[in-house]
Amino acid sequence: MTDKDHSSADDPALVRAAQRGDMRAFEELVARHRDKIYARAYSMMRNEEEAIDLSQEAWVKGWQRLKQFQGDSSFGTWMTRIVINLCLDQLRKHKRQRTESIEAMSEESGGVERQMPVITVNPTAGLERGELRQRIDRALGQLSEAHRTVMVLHEFEEMEYKEIAKTMGCSIGTVMSRLFYARRKMAALLADLKNKNE
Amino acid sequence: MENDAQLKLQAYLDGELPESEAREVANWLARDKEAVALHAELRNTRQALVGFEIGVALPESREFFWLKVEREIRLLEKSEPERPKPSWLSAWRRLLVPAAALAALVLAAQVLLNQSPGGGLATTSSDPGTFTYRDYATGTTLVWLSYPAENDVAQAQPTSTVP
Repeated sequence: MTDKDHSSADDPALVRAAQRGDMRAFEELVARHRDKIYARAYSMMRNEEEAIDLSQEAWVKGWQRLKQFQGDSSFGTWMTRIVINLCLDQLRKHKRQRTESIEAMSEESGGVERQMPVITVNPTAGLERGELRQRIDRALGQLSEAHRTVMVLHEFEEMEYKEIAKTMGCSIGTVMSRLFYARRKMAALLADLKNKNE
Repeated sequence: MENDAQLKLQAYLDGELPESEAREVANWLARDKEAVALHAELRNTRQALVGFEIGVALPESREFFWLKVEREIRLLEKSEPERPKPSWLSAWRRLLVPAAALAALVLAAQVLLNQSPGGGLATTSSDPGTFTYRDYATGTTLVWLSYPAENDVAQAQPTSTVP
């Protein structure tokens, strides 16, 4: 395959070539999907440097395991699962390294947010795309790692409760509880940002 | 509102409830303003996140990022020694090693038995499947039968000791 062939080939053809050891084909796959893989790592880690390192590690692992890729899902989805698993491992390391605070423990059980008054006005209505992204980014950054992860897997990865529970190694009840907490907290943070900007 | 009810409302929003329960929640929403407000808040938050990741780009050039990935792959491939392909010689070796060990063991046993004072290993000319060991010092004779026993007595006493 020439460079021109690589750029015009579809993903399955590039994967087949890469499985035969064609590094240039793999380079083209990296170029096509690197932003998505990085975005997922960044959403979960909230740290640019860590997200770059983890997405790089994901690509190296992708190459090593390429022969195991059977094409049951798209190549992009397969790579995304690799980076998610790496991020979850990294988050577990973070958790082991720090002592869980009382606040974090109360988050786990629901905390005060369950009883918060409902935000009746949509805090993101009428916002421009850039402004909306900035506010969501800030709000996501204020969630705990566990709650943010559930939210990312559900909203961005479109995983069902059962799948999230399996991926994170927890019960479906925990997933539902964390997702509920994360959404309520997000709503409150976005409303707060809206009030500050008005 | 009870916690279980809140989670059920969320599961309804996410399409995770079975049909019968979803119908129950829909009826509940038709008559409970508090539930309607919470449902709207959860839905707004979910909708706000749609498309959030679009446009997030890796802050490194294609070439630079690929160089790092490629270097890492090459390093890993270098550090993993190539496994030699299994040859016919290694396959034979796998068979020959245990066979040779067994032969050595039998040989050693024979040598030891022949060297022991006042004893000896012998086969009888009438029955080549029978091995006899005689220890004249203690007056003991051991007989090994190398074939399966054919009668009840032999089955009960496959090895006989004659003093």
